[in-house]
Amino acid sequence: MIHVLARGEARSAGELGRQFRSAQPTISNHLKVLEQAGLVERTIEGRIHRFRLRQKPLKEAGSWIIRHQVFWIGAVDQLDRLLPEIAGNDRG
Amino acid sequence: MDETAVEVRRRFRAAPEKVFAAFSEARWVARWLSPSPEIRLSLLQFQFREGGAYRFAYHVPGGQVMTVRGAYRLIDRPSKIVFSWVIEPPDEHAGLDSEVIVTITPDGEFTKLLIRHEKLTRPAAGARHAEGWRGALDQLAALLEQSGACHADRAS
Repeated sequence: MIHVLARGEARSAGELGRQFRSAQPTISNHLKVLEQAGLVERTIEGRIHRFRLRQKPLKEAGSWIIRHQVFWIGAVDQLDRLLPEIAGNDRG
Repeated sequence: MDETAVEVRRRFRAAPEKVFAAFSEARWVARWLSPSPEIRLSLLQFQFREGGAYRFAYHVPGGQVMTVRGAYRLIDRPSKIVFSWVIEPPDEHAGLDSEVIVTITPDGEFTKLLIRHEKLTRPAAGARHAEGWRGALDQLAALLEQSGACHADRAS
């Protein structure tokens, strides 16, 4: 998610959902977490919610907590891509 | 908001045992437990049992290596894993003893994962203390900015 948002352009929740082939509630929940962590900002145009990565918190000196948040979000993104392979492995 | 903890939640279309395996089997751990595909993880030690120790080496592009070690404090297959998380010297944060609590919950045909990293006591003296881990994560932030496009293409 962060990787996609890192392109810099604002994305709607629908666009992000198609990108990840995930259910909309999953995407919305993930965006909410990122928003609460201060990593993503939301703008609302009519019915469309757009999301943009806030670069500043990632760069701020001493944002120790946010940096760990980024670590785990990045890791779980990788796990998301790996799980189909684990699930397809009988010994997994 | 708790200033010393972070939480990440995700729901997967997979059985709890499969999500658990991602934490319990070395061959899987090495493939996802880093913040970015560019930061390669090698398992120096991996004793997945209560009281067992682990050591993870994170290879950041450019040659920097950051090592994290800890011990598995609680393992309740397939629903809970608690382990300590300590950054090794020469990092200024060496010895800062944080804790990761992994909770895996079935949810119909899905599985909910909650990773809570706590006791992340803020570095006492600020900037100059943070160089090691921050260096790696600064590189991560930079990588995310530079290479976001190629990941997005792979995800789509």
